[in-house]
Amino acid sequence: MGLLQGATELFPVSSLGHAVLVPSLLHWSFKQSDPAFVPFLVLLHLGTAAALLILYRTQWVQIIRGFFTAALRGRITNDSERLAMLLMTGTIPAAILGVFLENRIKSLFASPYAAAGLLVANGGLMLGAEMLRRRAERRVQAASLSRIEQEERFTDAAHISFAAAALVGACQALAFLPGISRSGVTIGGGLLAGLRHQESARFSFLLATPVILGAALIEIPQLLNARVPVVEFAAAAVLAGVAAYLSARFLLRYFRSGRLDPYGWYCVAAGLVSLALLHFGL
Amino acid sequence: MTRSTPLAVGLAVLGVVFIVIAALYAFGVLQILVSDPSSPHHYTHMILFIVLAVASFVAANFARPKTV
Repeated sequence: MGLLQGATELFPVSSLGHAVLVPSLLHWSFKQSDPAFVPFLVLLHLGTAAALLILYRTQWVQIIRGFFTAALRGRITNDSERLAMLLMTGTIPAAILGVFLENRIKSLFASPYAAAGLLVANGGLMLGAEMLRRRAERRVQAASLSRIEQEERFTDAAHISFAAAALVGACQALAFLPGISRSGVTIGGGLLAGLRHQESARFSFLLATPVILGAALIEIPQLLNARVPVVEFAAAAVLAGVAAYLSARFLLRYFRSGRLDPYGWYCVAAGLVSLALLHFGL
Repeated sequence: MTRSTPLAVGLAVLGVVFIVIAALYAFGVLQILVSDPSSPHHYTHMILFIVLAVASFVAANFARPKTV
């Protein structure tokens, strides 16, 4: 479960959707009503957030320093400061929607059928984002260029507009729906905002870090109060962190020239197969 | 960002309002849109409104007309 969560949290295939679907399809005796479930999930998220912090440790130092410098000065003078403000702009809508709507949305759609259906929708969203991106590539006359050259026609994370950052951030709230991937919708949103694929993935991971870390830290009191098998849960958190780190490294490399299409088709196929398996009770 | 004194003052006032709301959630006075109304404190909501207050003060500083 730790490996599954760590890997699927960053791959654009919905960790929540897989967390709902896989135990149900494999008949794992993992009950979400179990008092140990929330502490377990908290530790897995802490593992994932730690992996992202380690991966981007240098950038986070610059971003945090940039945030305080720009906030106190009231003016942005470099890319780190702009990126810090873009991340704050993108995090706020997700935090508002998360605090007020997360539990309601999750309880409404917490069935394997809904997760499978939304996984298909997630695939559709990513394929749609890539379709619009190809249209944009034709507009900037990049269709005949190599993939690397095509990507160079687009911008980096520090240079999107604040409105686009807020919109991409708000897209994160869609990930409260099991089956909709946080990284899928934010990478897709980044592409529509004119980011290169790799930059869109980087922006998505940077944007996810405070949200995942914040959500996990808020639940820590529950973790301290619960009687849980600490060693087993800590091992799962480490596995989640390792899987998340390797996934992020792989995805950043992949998105130098790769697209969201394979993940989109995977989600459509996995969602349809899951719907069939659930329907026929296999 | 548009720089004007009224906008900066408005954002600063908004920040103060957010701090008041954060305190009301922390002491359990406000129960709007909470998942567990029986809980005496709503720290998640409190943290959110503190973050919003910080963001408002930062935005106010950006909106403040600069002399240089």
